[in-house]
Amino acid sequence: MSIKEIEQQIVEEFSIFDNWMDKYQYIIDLGKSMPVIAEEKKKDENLIKGCQSRVWLDCRQEDGKLYFSADSDAIITKGIISLLIRVYDGHTPKEILDSEIDFIDTIGLRSNLSPTRANGLVSMLKQIKLYALAFNEINEESTATAEPSKENASDVPSDENATAGQHSPGKYTVEEVQKNVIRALKQVFDPEIPVNVYDLGLIYELRVEDNLNVYIKMTMTSPTCPMAEDVVNDVNNAVSDAPGVAGVQIELTFEPEWDESRMTEEARLELGLI
Amino acid sequence: MESAREEILSGVRAHVPALGLKMNGEPLVYLDNAATTQKPSTVLDFLSDALREGNANVHRSMYALSDRSTEAYEAAREKVRAFINAPSRENVVFTSGTTASINLVADTFCRRLGKGDVILIEADSHHSNIVPWQLAAERTGAFVKVIPTDVLLGIGRSGRVAAEEVDNLLDDKVKILAITQISNITGFLNPVSEIIAKAHAKGIPVLVDGAQGIVHGGVDVREMDCDFYAFSAHKIYGATGVGILYGKKEMLESLPPYMGGGDMVETVTYAKTTYAPLPLRFEAGTPNFIGAASLLPALEFAEYLSSGETGKVIKEEEARITGYMLERLTKDPLVELYGNPALCEGVCKAPIFTFNIKGINAGDLAQLLDKMGVAVRSGMMCAEPLLNSFGVPSALRASFAPYNTLEEAEFFVRCLDRARAMLL
Repeated sequence: MSIKEIEQQIVEEFSIFDNWMDKYQYIIDLGKSMPVIAEEKKKDENLIKGCQSRVWLDCRQEDGKLYFSADSDAIITKGIISLLIRVYDGHTPKEILDSEIDFIDTIGLRSNLSPTRANGLVSMLKQIKLYALAFNEINEESTATAEPSKENASDVPSDENATAGQHSPGKYTVEEVQKNVIRALKQVFDPEIPVNVYDLGLIYELRVEDNLNVYIKMTMTSPTCPMAEDVVNDVNNAVSDAPGVAGVQIELTFEPEWDESRMTEEARLELGLI
Repeated sequence: MESAREEILSGVRAHVPALGLKMNGEPLVYLDNAATTQKPSTVLDFLSDALREGNANVHRSMYALSDRSTEAYEAAREKVRAFINAPSRENVVFTSGTTASINLVADTFCRRLGKGDVILIEADSHHSNIVPWQLAAERTGAFVKVIPTDVLLGIGRSGRVAAEEVDNLLDDKVKILAITQISNITGFLNPVSEIIAKAHAKGIPVLVDGAQGIVHGGVDVREMDCDFYAFSAHKIYGATGVGILYGKKEMLESLPPYMGGGDMVETVTYAKTTYAPLPLRFEAGTPNFIGAASLLPALEFAEYLSSGETGKVIKEEEARITGYMLERLTKDPLVELYGNPALCEGVCKAPIFTFNIKGINAGDLAQLLDKMGVAVRSGMMCAEPLLNSFGVPSALRASFAPYNTLEEAEFFVRCLDRARAMLL
């Protein structure tokens, strides 16, 4: 089942409860019946701290799919975690990265995922995505270094749903890939300024190596940008999907700090700065 | 008799519109008063009127509207002065909160400290009476020592501050004491006067964190003889973003300026500036003058709650609430109360109840209570070291204000039982 289908299933399960007590009792029971995580997994490096409760999260990959185990000292939090794990378990890193879950909202537990409740859930969701991102990168690298045995990568941009790392290296020159990457970067927009990251001058360094792995050093318009992670994700997704790209490595830096002078003339013209 | 009580209490509650709110479809039972209190209509109306008809910067200008605003600001300062029985308006500095008041003293007083000097704090402190001193210690090479609780000493489980230890801790190296009038976890009234007397006998000044104390019992700063007293307006029915620092005149005068800016100066040249007299020297920039002015109606409300027949009924009600809560929380073997007065002879307790039910996470309880309309705090209550000394990472806290009733306490306990049945 896809992530969306599992979400739908959960929403249907919850639709039978007509009062909050039954709903919470169900979540509490889910929390209680969740498999106990091994004590050695409850180590500090797996700990996500929240003021109200602590959450431990561990992740492993099998056959290209991710499996999570988690625990919390709060039973309601644990019940909600079990729902999240049910949704994400057994999916590829790419599927997880591309998903936007909304069932928590639909079943009326939105406040539990609010950043104002320091119960660890928000950080846990972020951590799930980070695991997916990390495994995604590892997978791409290993695909990229493997012998190019896959069938012809076409010249047209790959299908959006294609998994990253499908492009077959060897058919593209470094220069071609460079152009494709720039084209891809021009499709990623800054969340605050209506100009793409390339023309904004956020890309400090772009290097395509002989093996068609791409190294990008980039910045944000502000070191405190709350959307930094999303922008990096977007850049990663766009560049990964660019024809010919084997793997992507992105380094975020704030030195030197970005300023308006780094924008292209076109961008400045567009924003009415010149 | 009973109907007179009810009439008075419902009269009090009618002054506070938020007490009539519904949350999650249930009538709100607000028991997080140690975090902030709900506001009476007089304060709400004042804030609205002041923004409409009294908004001009203070101490600046030669026009009537500015006079009006400055008068309201200074009238509130006078009200605070009278409320805490300070000798003069010079002793009353407006800040942005208890935290800012403590930071002001920690930053400026501690500039005279050197390597090896000691700042003595209390084990039951709120983070805001710990961290500013640690920062000051880092800057100066001084270090922070702690007056322990009976729990830390291994001689008890009540969480009371072991004031008897102060004698051992007060050596020549100690340069200032920062203590707490009432703990925001245990609700215990600390023997503040006793500690101050000991410190003064050695010539050491004392700052008192009155964030909780100002509400439960109040303060007479001259009787207490503290050198500094810090509290927040919002915890005593006033606006948020306003704090008070009381200081003895000679103490405040001995402090260097804290923040530089407008209003705190006498004359400014590019080379040299002379500073305004007290209290404005510590009020750089445009203060939260409307919020500060709300202290006038806020403290009037506090006085109304503690005087006459109303004061008597509220006092009785508070005693009944405390008696009831202690009975329900201490007779239950699964409940661990942090700040159980039965474990400590002669201690007085404000109606602040922090506890855990064994095997249940406090956050879970708080969430289910919220569904039933009950607002309580869960977590560390910004007093992580004290909670950790009890061996727990978090707890649940129900804190009552004078406008709360015994019925609300009973409702809270019923809801607690219900939540616990769901979770166990």
